[in-house]
Amino acid sequence: MNQAHPAPILEVDDLRIAFASPDGIVRAVDGVSWQLFPGEMLGIVGESGCGKSVTAMSVLRLLPGPPAMYASGAIRFRGENLLDATEARMRELRGNAISMIFQDPMTSLNPVLTIGEQIAEVLMLHQGLGRRAAWTRAAEMLDLVGIPDPQRRVCEYPHQFSGGMRQRAMIALALACSPAVLIADEPTTALDVTIQAQIMDLLDRLRREMGTAIVLITHDLGVVAESCDRVVVMYAGNKVEEAAVDELFARPTHPYTRGLLGAMPDLDTPVEAGRRRLAEIPGMVPSLKQAAVGCRFAPRCAYAEAGCHRTVPALAPLAVGHAVACLRAIDILEGAPA
Amino acid sequence: MNARTLAVERAPLLAVENLVKHYPTRRGWRAGPPVKAADGISFDLEEGETLGLVGESGCGKSTAAKTLLRLIEPTAGRIMLEGTDLARLPAHRFRRYRREMQMVFQDPYASLNPRMRAGDIVAEPLRNFGWDNSDGPARVADLFGRVGLPADAMRKYPHEFSGGQRQRLGIARALALRPKLIVCDEPVSALDVSIQAQVINLLEDLQDELKLSYLFVAHDLAVVRHISHRVAVMYLGRIVEIGPVEDIYARPRHPYTRALLSAVPKVGGRGKGERMLLKGDLPSPANPPSGCAFRTRCPFARAECAERAPQLSGDGAHRVACHFADQIA
Repeated sequence: MNQAHPAPILEVDDLRIAFASPDGIVRAVDGVSWQLFPGEMLGIVGESGCGKSVTAMSVLRLLPGPPAMYASGAIRFRGENLLDATEARMRELRGNAISMIFQDPMTSLNPVLTIGEQIAEVLMLHQGLGRRAAWTRAAEMLDLVGIPDPQRRVCEYPHQFSGGMRQRAMIALALACSPAVLIADEPTTALDVTIQAQIMDLLDRLRREMGTAIVLITHDLGVVAESCDRVVVMYAGNKVEEAAVDELFARPTHPYTRGLLGAMPDLDTPVEAGRRRLAEIPGMVPSLKQAAVGCRFAPRCAYAEAGCHRTVPALAPLAVGHAVACLRAIDILEGAPA
Repeated sequence: MNARTLAVERAPLLAVENLVKHYPTRRGWRAGPPVKAADGISFDLEEGETLGLVGESGCGKSTAAKTLLRLIEPTAGRIMLEGTDLARLPAHRFRRYRREMQMVFQDPYASLNPRMRAGDIVAEPLRNFGWDNSDGPARVADLFGRVGLPADAMRKYPHEFSGGQRQRLGIARALALRPKLIVCDEPVSALDVSIQAQVINLLEDLQDELKLSYLFVAHDLAVVRHISHRVAVMYLGRIVEIGPVEDIYARPRHPYTRALLSAVPKVGGRGKGERMLLKGDLPSPANPPSGCAFRTRCPFARAECAERAPQLSGDGAHRVACHFADQIA
């Protein structure tokens, strides 16, 4: 993908985000870094509450503060730190250079405006198009995302669209200004597999045609395996593993990554072999109210040693582009028993 | 095995025949075309067996599941539970059959009363069907143990539980009356992967211990493959293919089943070219296409498909509703 290593278009650097809650401070994102290179698709995976969506929202500064607090770190878009940017500057960027699609297209589209008006609004605001030109462009965008009969559909309201079409309309809206970065937060979670396949196909095609770099936030490792170039695995506000997608699935190293893969029923093991018991990750995600004293995953980890409960593991490189935050990474790769 | 189970060994526990649920619609003051949510569904379920019911949203799989328990009243058809047709029983006689069939719901929060303690939630079905003070509390405690909830959880309220624990609570409630059949409507789709694995393992363990039958409604094909013995694929209110799980997944015969399976993203190599992308969305069940309902999205559709609706056919356990199943296989 990016052998030449061009400058990253988007860089999250040691980001820490906390939320003030009535019973203490919740460290939702606790020192996360990643880079996004032009034209690539980066997957961020993890379970509910791991901080993946909070990271995504923070890129566009969509988190209301208070309660959200940016404790430290930087988010650099083409070198510019977005955490220092003025609100006016952010408004210039949102929906223009960086845009976002959300999980639920019904609650993120305006129900009282037609689809055409919503797309045209973005184009008039950011690109200075006139009303007629913007309207024509809106129809072109709907055509681009594969909505049949776009001339008629631009005049319709979101409730007249099916779930898959609404998600397409939202993608059309997000891509109207040809953004350099698209952040897709669980874009297919609410959709059926056949529609999911259509949407992922569409994102992949648009990335190739328009060169948009995409951050795909998802809990579905299957989607990641098929679409992404690189993957970041998050757990309890930390990045626990990062690798190129083939490397991650060939040599998953962090016990949490391995746990996720083992917990997924798959379509490949023969049924005749009898039921395979799914691997469980015992226990639950920890509360993020206390500062981490050891590895956040240690209480649920089969490989944990005494040291794991005392030392916060640092992210260490394992191979080119493959980094793991686990004290026992080498032992695990060498096949140490759990 | 006792005498009763031996006597019914030949007949399935549950036999559903031609189940129909039509919802009336209105166009102004006149009646519009009915929405055919379930349009002639037939299947059997054996003791200790899991039948997976899959399909896209709006295909009628949840309607079919709820109609079995008469949470939705069927328009027509027969629901034979051990030889009794439940669809025709008057309400007062149907009540005792409710013990035999229970349900686990998708949303573990919405299906638990937020103002009841967990212990009372599990005890409620017991109270409804004759609470015994000597035996009741021990039974509730036993149920908590069975689903892996600590005993002190009985005094808590639903909001104090995590999603996975709430689903365990829902399962404990469903087990309270020692049912023979549990209808699971998307029981794990709201849960994270690691928690989903815990609940699936629990359901499998309970089946092995208690010889439960499950009707497992889900859209996640990997989960269904994992837990089911047989699978039925639904499209627009009809079953288009039904058979043993290994046949359906290894040798799908209906074009829709193939498209569904090929759309599932997989970890670990598959050439992208193999994917069979379906065009468009599910047609409206109020106005389904003539003939085969799938023909508008089917890459193999021919003129005949618009004229005649295919019936489920095939030899043995694997049956498919497609005119050209033999030619495209």
